[in-house]
Amino acid sequence: MAKTRVTNSIRRLRFEHGEMTQQALAERVGLTRQTVNAIELGKYSPSLEAAFRIAGVFGVSLTEVFAYDEEAT
Amino acid sequence: MSFREKSAWISLVSIAFVGLVFFLHVPRTLTPRSGPEMLHALLICVAALIVIEVVAHAVVAIRAPRDAQAPKDERERLIELRAVHVAAYVYAALSMGAVSLLHVGANGGAVGYGVLLALVIAELVNYGSRILYYRRGL
Repeated sequence: MAKTRVTNSIRRLRFEHGEMTQQALAERVGLTRQTVNAIELGKYSPSLEAAFRIAGVFGVSLTEVFAYDEEAT
Repeated sequence: MSFREKSAWISLVSIAFVGLVFFLHVPRTLTPRSGPEMLHALLICVAALIVIEVVAHAVVAIRAPRDAQAPKDERERLIELRAVHVAAYVYAALSMGAVSLLHVGANGGAVGYGVLLALVIAELVNYGSRILYYRRGL
């Protein structure tokens, strides 16, 4: 499986926000549930705009949701 | 599985099936005087492909109407672009190969169907790539 170097905390943030479902998050940011799932699993790096929208839903900064793993191969 | 991944599977399987039926038929009937018969077979195959695709997509859409009506998101658009990009190279290479058959004595009909075969293979690569990107990730 092709993994991106971008890691994220979406799963934890969803859990902390009333166990928000992937579908609910997807609807709020204008993505499909499958794309939210792919982002969570590190199979897809979202655009900067989508990343900001996701951070906005959780009310946190971008760097609290996403990080770049320099060590990943 | 998303509606668009199911759609890619439908297109992959239907094009493979109809393409196989058509190209198994070609060698047996391709002669200098087989034009009308080949056109008839081609039209039937194109019509069959349209019917299979429309019916299969309608069935999938009825089962998940919200998913089917949702606009493509950025990942789906990117997957489509990458798959078409790969398929375009395949089509260019194979169609050039088909046209080059003229230089080894192939007749115009064989070259024409060679180009059509290139198109079918490129479409299979297109939908196969989409499925791969959906499954494996970008």
